[in-house]
Amino acid sequence: MSRQDGRAGQNALRRVGEASVLILISLADGPKHGYALIQDIKQLADVELGPGTLYGALDRLERLGLIEPLPADDRRHPYRITAPGAAALRVHLDSLERVSAAGRLRLRLGGI
Amino acid sequence: MDDPRATRLVETVLRCYPARWRRRHGEEAAELAALLIRDGTPAGSVAWSYLAGAARERLTSRPGRRLSTVACALLVAACSLGVSAGLLASAAPARAASTSQAHGPAQCRPGSPEPVPGVTPAMSRPQVIIWAAGHGRSC
Repeated sequence: MSRQDGRAGQNALRRVGEASVLILISLADGPKHGYALIQDIKQLADVELGPGTLYGALDRLERLGLIEPLPADDRRHPYRITAPGAAALRVHLDSLERVSAAGRLRLRLGGI
Repeated sequence: MDDPRATRLVETVLRCYPARWRRRHGEEAAELAALLIRDGTPAGSVAWSYLAGAARERLTSRPGRRLSTVACALLVAACSLGVSAGLLASAAPARAASTSQAHGPAQCRPGSPEPVPGVTPAMSRPQVIIWAAGHGRSC
């Protein structure tokens, strides 16, 4: 997966919003279904994702090719992150880190 | 879901999603709602989230749907234009009638040789000039 593909995925990720980024982060360590995603995101980011928001974000991420569904386990559909999804997430997190570092530096320089 | 009212509420809201979405996620969504309510999430909050999701799902533009949205928008625009034109058409004769009652019918006729009784020449002149100017341009 090239850096350029990662950038394209990151641009898509910026458009789809915070819920999608949280879902990708949650799927980064392995496939999960809806309920497991909600529980994991609550634990890792202290964000309670509504079920309507969850399914909307899952559909968008799937359309973008950043995640893919796995065969249904009973009624639950697990999802896993794809290679382009992982690349997009990596680029997005790198960008967040740069912005975060710049913000901290400016706070120090400003003496706040 | 143990509470039958919560079950009914969530089922009703899930019916707001398009059939394609319900076929794909319907059963899992109902089960997820049951699990969340069992964990203590208020049923109203779960239902509201699904309702907002259903609205978003229906508003999301798809290639086929975009055409029908444009067709609907054109139809609404055409209807509102028709209504506006109808209102203007019905208001114009009424306005003309009220104007002619106020100033007398002869003033509206161009080149009327007779002086209009009760109207001073200073008031009647500009009206003739304006009409003549407009008439000349259109010819």
